[in-house]
Amino acid sequence: MSAPDAVLALVDVTKTFPGVKALKGVSIDVRPGEIVGLVGENGAGKSTLMKILSGVYQPDGGQIVVGDKPVRLTSAAEANALGIAMVFQEQSLLTNLTVGENVYLGNEAQFTRFGIVDWRRLYAAAARQLAKVALDVDPRNRAEDLDFASRQMVEIAKALTLEEVAGHLVILLDEPTSVLERAEIDVLFSRVRALKDRASFIFVSHRLDEVLELSDRVYVMKDGAVVAEMPAAEADIPKLHQAMVGRSLQAEYYRESLQRPPGTEIRLEARGLGLTGAYRDIDFTLRAGEILGIAGVIGSGREELTRTLAGFAPHDAGTLTVNGSPVRFANPAQAVDSGVGYIPRERRVEGLVLFLPVSANITLPDLGRLSRWGLIDGAEEKRIARDWVTRLKVRTPGIDALCLNLSGGNQQKVVLAKWLNAKARILILDHPTRGLDVGAKEEVYELVRTVSAEGVAVLLTSDTLEETIGLSHTVLVMRDGTITHRTDASPGHKPAQVDLIPHMV
Amino acid sequence: MASFLRHIASDRVRQWLPLATLILLIVIVGTLEPVFLQPATLLDLAGDTAVLFILASGVTFVIMLGGIDLSLQSMASLSSVIVALTLPRLGYAAFPAAIAAGALAGLLAGLAHTRLRIPSFIATLAMGGVLASTALVSSGERSITLGADDRGYLGWITGTLAGIPNVVIIGLVVLVVAHILQAHTRFGRYSAAIGAGEPATYASGVKVNRQKVIAFVLSGGFAALAGIILTGRLASGSPTLAAEMLLPAIAAVVVGGTAITGGVGSIWRTLVGALIISVVRIGMTFLGVNIFAQNIVFGAVLVLAVAITIDRSKIPIVK
Repeated sequence: MSAPDAVLALVDVTKTFPGVKALKGVSIDVRPGEIVGLVGENGAGKSTLMKILSGVYQPDGGQIVVGDKPVRLTSAAEANALGIAMVFQEQSLLTNLTVGENVYLGNEAQFTRFGIVDWRRLYAAAARQLAKVALDVDPRNRAEDLDFASRQMVEIAKALTLEEVAGHLVILLDEPTSVLERAEIDVLFSRVRALKDRASFIFVSHRLDEVLELSDRVYVMKDGAVVAEMPAAEADIPKLHQAMVGRSLQAEYYRESLQRPPGTEIRLEARGLGLTGAYRDIDFTLRAGEILGIAGVIGSGREELTRTLAGFAPHDAGTLTVNGSPVRFANPAQAVDSGVGYIPRERRVEGLVLFLPVSANITLPDLGRLSRWGLIDGAEEKRIARDWVTRLKVRTPGIDALCLNLSGGNQQKVVLAKWLNAKARILILDHPTRGLDVGAKEEVYELVRTVSAEGVAVLLTSDTLEETIGLSHTVLVMRDGTITHRTDASPGHKPAQVDLIPHMV
Repeated sequence: MASFLRHIASDRVRQWLPLATLILLIVIVGTLEPVFLQPATLLDLAGDTAVLFILASGVTFVIMLGGIDLSLQSMASLSSVIVALTLPRLGYAAFPAAIAAGALAGLLAGLAHTRLRIPSFIATLAMGGVLASTALVSSGERSITLGADDRGYLGWITGTLAGIPNVVIIGLVVLVVAHILQAHTRFGRYSAAIGAGEPATYASGVKVNRQKVIAFVLSGGFAALAGIILTGRLASGSPTLAAEMLLPAIAAVVVGGTAITGGVGSIWRTLVGALIISVVRIGMTFLGVNIFAQNIVFGAVLVLAVAITIDRSKIPIVK
């Protein structure tokens, strides 16, 4: 199955989480000095794969082969010892430590005698590591003084310290470019190419153009399986995209036949809205029954705009009105009081109190309505919770089950139920289908259509452009903190993704 | 040992462990010393437990939402000093005055915790120091024995009703009030939600800081009430009256099965925990253990109880 000269191979690897099959028999191999691209939509299984390779998760089935030996990776240390190093998506340098300390973090033993670290030797060694990636900084500088691109190079330099123990390396690059400027990306890529004689790379990115630019070979994942593999020279963006999405766009996937024209009543309006360092001059209106999608890449300001509307980051310029009254949300409580419900991307952190039962989560934003003389009406609470569980078809052992034990899609239904119960008239959907499998996604789409048809105004940011276009009545495109484009997206007038992308980048 | 701990840490078993422990302890002590099971001894036990239970109930509110109150023994002592000093002039009004002082101290600690974003153990450790010194300075560093006139105001603490000591009845009233607050009000629900998942609770529009401040106010007020009861039973106030009660009070909460990390717990569990501590204390007295050595046992019990009640698989790093 795997190529005979592979330095690393995954053979038929499977991984299941409660309620979702994250990997369904994935086989991938990496050859010496090769840069392998790995692409797929969110939820396709890329992150799970990376975590298996770096020893965070153990596969349920299949094999990992390093060189010609099957191995088990039960910790990051074991993966490292076999020459597999991860350069993390979230920058993992400790910014309060020096560059040199970061490079050898956890591996100081070689510089230690009788418990005392020989810092001169450590910094000299760190300087040699930095030279390998052609990074010209003093290892005694603090990591916080470096720009993001340099930090990324420090992480690679750190990964390269494994050479001494493991020989040829496989370095996992997980979205390394997401916080970098174009010029920094060019530097990163040229350095990575220059390291091909010492290491192989697996490069994971959302940016298909970058994957094509850097990789020798590309794997496409979808729904937990590899659906295509091709030399980068033979691939192009439409080809990759087709493989990632796995179908030509079907209108019904997003329940477009259920999309109703919005009402006339303006629920939410922004005029010249701004937040220093995040976004500025934002104008939009959101009507009852309308779904307004905001497209944009990381750094476009759409994430911060979403947070403002949910009450986490008050704007400092312009005006925001809800049902005609000016508001400025200092905290989520004020947003909730104005009828705003927030469905966060971090469902398990901000969406639900995982260790409380389904019923308590559903009633949390609107307990006041259930209280008489200061006491919660427990019977009424149970009735309400059962009602929502039935209406939204939440699959749960019961309303007393902890949300922890529900699958992602059912957790998302509980989040939705709590805002519907609180009679939210404006819903902020922040990546509402993140981490859900296809079936659960479709159920969420259907629910979004239903509440929209009932007059709830929806503001949507999404992981994929396709989802944004498919669900929305209107799409705004943001770039560098401002709106660069706005377009009608009613059924029959849906814009193509390629028409929006030029406004995003 | 580790696998044994893991086994008894499984949810189903863990829930009933404190009650089983209490019954087992009562049986053991009762077998060794049959006097223990006589109604008079049991009523004494209940009376002795009341003060500890009231202290522990207050801090249960704070622990439920993931905080801690280390000022409670200083507050209880200060409360006894306030009562002893003001009783001659204020009469019965001395009692609400002491409770108001406790609530005020809780308010300040709560505001320091939420507004200045200081960890609650620092805010209340500092507050405890302030209160302890205030008690020492205002009392002239000595205990204040109440005169015969003043003792007339203490009948509601020292008396009995139908043979039951009033302290036990006060303890039961506290139990009912605290249980209602905990299990049937928005404050109680929000506290559990904050302890179990603060970001999601905040995102749901709950005024998290307000709930935290309320919990510290309750903790301070309950500590002051405990100080008042102590004053009544000993007929004197002292700046060190409640010294050495912090450890047993927090041990009672945790031994009862309320998670020190918050989110899971109840006043009933605290009642069971306080009874366990009391039975252990009486048992040690029967066995002739030096009264000053008792905190050695409570310290060990606290560590063991936390080890059992925390599901450490959900907490990767303990600070």
